[in-house]
Amino acid sequence: MVFSNRIDEKDLHKEQKLLILAAFPAVFLIFGIFYGLVEGTKGRPILEGLSAIILSPTTLITDFLVIGGIGAAFINSALIGFYNLYLLKHFKMRINGLLIAAFFTVLGFAFFGKNVINILPIYLGGYLYARYQKIPMKNVILVIMFSTALAPIVSFITFGGIFQEGFSYLMGILAGLAIGFIIVPLSSHMIRFHDGYNLYNIGFTAGIVGTVITSALRSFKIDIAPVNIISESNNPWIIGMLVCLFIYLIGVGLRTNPTTLKDYKKILQYRGRTITDFTSLVGYGITFFNMGVMGLSSLLLVLLLGGVVNGPVLAAILTVVGFSAFGKHPKNAWPLVAGVILAGLFFSYDFSSTTFIISLLFSTTIAPIAGAYGPIAGVIAGMLHLTLVTNIGIIHGGINLYNNGFAGGLVAGFMLPIIDAFKRGDSRP
Amino acid sequence: MRHEIKKICRIVDELTTMFLKDDTDEVDFKIITSPEKAIIRIVDYHTNYSDQMINQLRTTLNNQRQSEIEEYYWQLAGENDDDDEELTLISAMIDTATVEKREGNLYIELVRMNR
Repeated sequence: MVFSNRIDEKDLHKEQKLLILAAFPAVFLIFGIFYGLVEGTKGRPILEGLSAIILSPTTLITDFLVIGGIGAAFINSALIGFYNLYLLKHFKMRINGLLIAAFFTVLGFAFFGKNVINILPIYLGGYLYARYQKIPMKNVILVIMFSTALAPIVSFITFGGIFQEGFSYLMGILAGLAIGFIIVPLSSHMIRFHDGYNLYNIGFTAGIVGTVITSALRSFKIDIAPVNIISESNNPWIIGMLVCLFIYLIGVGLRTNPTTLKDYKKILQYRGRTITDFTSLVGYGITFFNMGVMGLSSLLLVLLLGGVVNGPVLAAILTVVGFSAFGKHPKNAWPLVAGVILAGLFFSYDFSSTTFIISLLFSTTIAPIAGAYGPIAGVIAGMLHLTLVTNIGIIHGGINLYNNGFAGGLVAGFMLPIIDAFKRGDSRP
Repeated sequence: MRHEIKKICRIVDELTTMFLKDDTDEVDFKIITSPEKAIIRIVDYHTNYSDQMINQLRTTLNNQRQSEIEEYYWQLAGENDDDDEELTLISAMIDTATVEKREGNLYIELVRMNR
């Protein structure tokens, strides 16, 4: 049975936890301003970069490091990060593992797809849903944070040239409002398909919503053309900054719980299936330590494979870091990574390509399969994941940013009944 | 819809599965609902849980109500008989839990306030 462990660690107040998280957008903001000023001297001012990010249709894959420049992309991420932290503080949320995961996911995807404008109608839609159902906004804020995966719909309708300018703004806002309104009941319902074995559940939900919307648009002869705007060169400053931030998380973990190194193995016993909130099961110290370890491991993996730390890869790394507070740890993640690499070898993928790298990192969305059913099931799930994720983007036309969450949901929903078919006897020991 | 009754049923479903699978052959449930709150009383007869496990169960169930987790994940409760992660979910769906062992039986009272 899964119980909370006895946790002897330094007590962290809510404000302290928020401050620990705020270090990320704070560092991004400072870095973005300085780097942006340098870029400005080379003819690319920050405001122009931010404007380019906001006016982009943002469909998959649009790397904001290319569209707006490195400075503007980091400022965009920082602003979105601070906005979400403000909401968590405003609604007096308990900073649990899931909220940490949501925060890092939003922060990461602000490098490819989410900007300070296209997420706002979705938040407003969530607010309208809460008012309509007469429930507090704090009940739905978590789902709304994740549901900004569909922010490209807002940008595409507004800036994709479908409607006349002016009218397109109204239609974009209405689309965002509609998404925010319907996503809460949808996400709650969709989770039953994969039984919580796909950690990026909203990715699965957003995949379904995106498929419906894209199909409707295509019926009106409006096609969403895939884009592939990706930064192709590594920036040592970004890599150095990430290393420092992950070491910072490890340091915070060790400071919060001095026995973290000794007790770290406790986290490895959890299968990771939803809901595995490490902050309540093993405490904040071990959780932050795990986040740092997973962040460093992800970055190392990207560099070993010869990949580029661009916008999509930043999103993937930060999402892995976030979900290392809510289900992921090295023991349940490695089989998925091994499975994707094996499939990559078999199908002759270019290991250094961004598409492969993000599939590799995001495949850990189904880490609970390896946690619950062992490494062999995990490796098979990883192989299936790569096969699916490279083929399903076309269904939703790239308007669902969490394409891997969509694929992960399908893999989990497909594999679980099959695994069950091979098990004998009853669930009772 | 807010599905208040269904959420209570899900809590009961999850705990029924847990006790029958892990601990006992005999379990009683009593559910009382009112406009202010719902109370779920459980008697798990002839419990085999150790005192340490009962203490951990008490701590886990009293973790704190977390409405945002409930709103997102309540449909997972009672869905699976392979895993036990939903105990964390149950704790997010209730306000207080009393857990006591008396005369070899485990008595649990869960209170869920209507918000």
